[in-house]
Amino acid sequence: MTNNDTVDIKDLGMSEEELFAHYDNNLYESERVTAPRYSYWKSVFRIFFKKKINIIILLFLALIIVFAYIYPVVTGYAANPEVAYNQNAYDNTSRHLLPTDAIQRFGFSLSWILGTGDVGQPTFDALWYGSSISISLAFMCAVINMVIGIILGAIWGFSKKVDIIMMEVFNIVGNIPYILIISVFIQILSPSFWTLVFAMTATGWLGVAFFIRTQVVVIRDREYNLASRCLGTPILRLTMKNILPFMTSVIVTLAATEIPSYISYEVYLSYIGIGISDMTLGKIIEQTQSFMAVPQWGFEYWSPIIMSSIITVILYVVGQNLGDASDPKTHM
Amino acid sequence: MPPSPLVYYKGIQMSKYLIKRILHGLVSVVIVVMAVMLLIYSAIDKSKIFMQDPLIQKKAANDKIVYRYQCWEEYGYLTYITYADWLNEITEKGELDPATRDEAVKFGKTAAEDTPLSAEYVKKFTDYYENQGYTVERLDVVLQSNKAVAKGGAQKLFAYKNVPIFVRMFKYFTGIVRFDNKRYAEGPLEGERGLTFTWHDPAYGGEKFSPAVMGNGTKYRYLIYFDDHFPYFHQNLITINLGKSYTINKGIDVWDTMIQPQGSIVKKQTIYPTGFVEDSANDMHTLTYSAGSRDLGGPFTQTRYTDDYTIAVNEKNGLSKMGYSFIIGILSSIIAYLLGIPLGLLMSRYQDKLFDKIGTLYIIFIMAVPSLAYIFMFRAIGIAAGWPITFDGTPQAYILPIISLALPSIGGLMKWSRRYMIDQKNADYVKFARSGGLSEGEIFRKHILKNAMIIIVQGIPGTVLFSLVGAIITERVYTVPGTGGMLVNAVTAFDNSAIVGVALFYALLSVTSLILGDVLMATVDPRISFTSKGR
Repeated sequence: MTNNDTVDIKDLGMSEEELFAHYDNNLYESERVTAPRYSYWKSVFRIFFKKKINIIILLFLALIIVFAYIYPVVTGYAANPEVAYNQNAYDNTSRHLLPTDAIQRFGFSLSWILGTGDVGQPTFDALWYGSSISISLAFMCAVINMVIGIILGAIWGFSKKVDIIMMEVFNIVGNIPYILIISVFIQILSPSFWTLVFAMTATGWLGVAFFIRTQVVVIRDREYNLASRCLGTPILRLTMKNILPFMTSVIVTLAATEIPSYISYEVYLSYIGIGISDMTLGKIIEQTQSFMAVPQWGFEYWSPIIMSSIITVILYVVGQNLGDASDPKTHM
Repeated sequence: MPPSPLVYYKGIQMSKYLIKRILHGLVSVVIVVMAVMLLIYSAIDKSKIFMQDPLIQKKAANDKIVYRYQCWEEYGYLTYITYADWLNEITEKGELDPATRDEAVKFGKTAAEDTPLSAEYVKKFTDYYENQGYTVERLDVVLQSNKAVAKGGAQKLFAYKNVPIFVRMFKYFTGIVRFDNKRYAEGPLEGERGLTFTWHDPAYGGEKFSPAVMGNGTKYRYLIYFDDHFPYFHQNLITINLGKSYTINKGIDVWDTMIQPQGSIVKKQTIYPTGFVEDSANDMHTLTYSAGSRDLGGPFTQTRYTDDYTIAVNEKNGLSKMGYSFIIGILSSIIAYLLGIPLGLLMSRYQDKLFDKIGTLYIIFIMAVPSLAYIFMFRAIGIAAGWPITFDGTPQAYILPIISLALPSIGGLMKWSRRYMIDQKNADYVKFARSGGLSEGEIFRKHILKNAMIIIVQGIPGTVLFSLVGAIITERVYTVPGTGGMLVNAVTAFDNSAIVGVALFYALLSVTSLILGDVLMATVDPRISFTSKGR
């Protein structure tokens, strides 16, 4: 054994500072990876727009939003549904008209292309106005449920103590019929838009939270998170930087199914008589279902059903495809 | 070969685990029901239960007020006692002689018009109940303009006390299962109290061999008997009380509402207890006790019955609510499983081919479109095909409800089985099997399918059990007299005890189906063990 291979540091004639420099712990530097710049959302949209069908569907979605939110304001139907078309309303001859008759009577305008309803109102305008309320309702419910559900679901997934309590709560609240909770809230408060939002989100977030919790549990103890925790990453940072990005596509897909499902649920509630006082899509379906028996009134009966189907299908497809595109595995 | 000790050990571990699960499930059910009771009894005003009551419209003035208190007592909101009841009570105890009672009971039209004797007893009544925390209410007479007493306007005097919610809960849970016993009948009885066994059921004339256990003093005359209705063996020893309905089926328990036959009555030769024979719909096996009913019924009852067991349920030709819902639910589930899974498998087999694309379109349609919308669409197709759209019990009438329920479940099962198969296609064990030279068909059948079945199997008990609760929209659209509408009807009519009953039933079903699903899954897949702790 000889010492010939090793060099004594002192022989190099360098000062202590030159040899060992103190390096501050820099969180940003520590996370930087020497790889080509990659913007997640840019890739998502690149993938999304690669499919031509998505552009078409997105155009349809834009059309729906314009018609639901701007069109009723322009025609004045939104401001005052009762008297906007007062010159025709309450006049027997203008009720339940087929599109051709309505156009013949009032001249061609978008409003009449679906005929008139039971008080002579234009079905087309009424439907879009109803859609705007339904979409807003579904959107509010989805946003509230998603925000509360994701935050609490992440905590639920992380803490084992919270998990034990929350599982019991979930088992119990999950077994109380949803209709019962909603109707009790509507009875106590009033059958208004915000009551329904409150009623649907009061326990609705639990489902989202449980879903997120399961996802968190699955990836919480993966090696990369274990390593991150060993390096001292705080839990909040771990959640925000390591876990949530992993779940983006799942969350987008979930959000995408939430909105159409709340539109459907509103239709369902209105049909069974636990609806709100506004003329939502569901309410229109509920009110026109008795017209089914009259052959000439079929148009009024089918219009809201077809309309609700189109809106929910488009929202669903956009969401699904966005969810697919937001999965990093497809970004290759 | 006898099973090894290990098998026994596993069996013990499994039953231990199951008992734990069942107890845990029961505790959850109790908490669910308590939460529902707390929610509806504290949040919904108790006067709302009269909203759909036709009887209260016919009552006027003081009668109306008293009627409300009587109903509240019947439905457990409060305890209520009238002045006359109290006087009778103390007379029975011997604290008052009947003559004085008859005088004291005539209290004045207003407090000022009381006789000294009635004033004294009114004061005693007031003091006695106010000390116990009751509220005593005296309603003065309501007069018409001509000084005559208005309709329902007679003076009333009564005391009431609200029943605390926790007492209600306790009473509810202790009353769910009731065992019939010989001390049930309060009034006078013919003969000795007790149970008797007979080989020859008197309802069939006493000649035919048909064992039965009959009771005297019990609520039901027949406690155990056989008849020609499914399931042929019946018992009345244990009855289930989920909660008395107020509007759906007034005064009848939710459970009985669900299981009692509906439809029009069926008359057949009936042998009454006296030996009187007549074509009647009365089912002698359902006789229940009602004190003094034989005398009240007059000669008609007296020629037919020998004692106070005179209340019989009519035989009907239809099924019960649960029966209709179950038939529709179970048939549609069978169709859904038989079609949905193979279709999903085929979709994954031909991934991205035309078949897969058509299937995906169908799944999107079912997932996105409101269920109401596609039920109406199926209905329109049904009308075009000439099927009946209103339910009348004929086999054709089942077609549309079954299709309306099956098509969405098919979509769900297709989506799920396709997803699972595609995920498994690239799993390591599948790659290994492929490299081992197995054909795609073999891999499908022997490897992927078996794994996919495990999770499908877990859902089966839930599907079967939840057929019992019916489908709300489908049943409403096709006017099926099933259980589906019960919760919604109860909710919209503020039928609070019915809500509690239905909620309990739902919770029990969901707990049971989860446990059964796990057991079934463990039976199918030997790798799944209840004993090792997950997570």
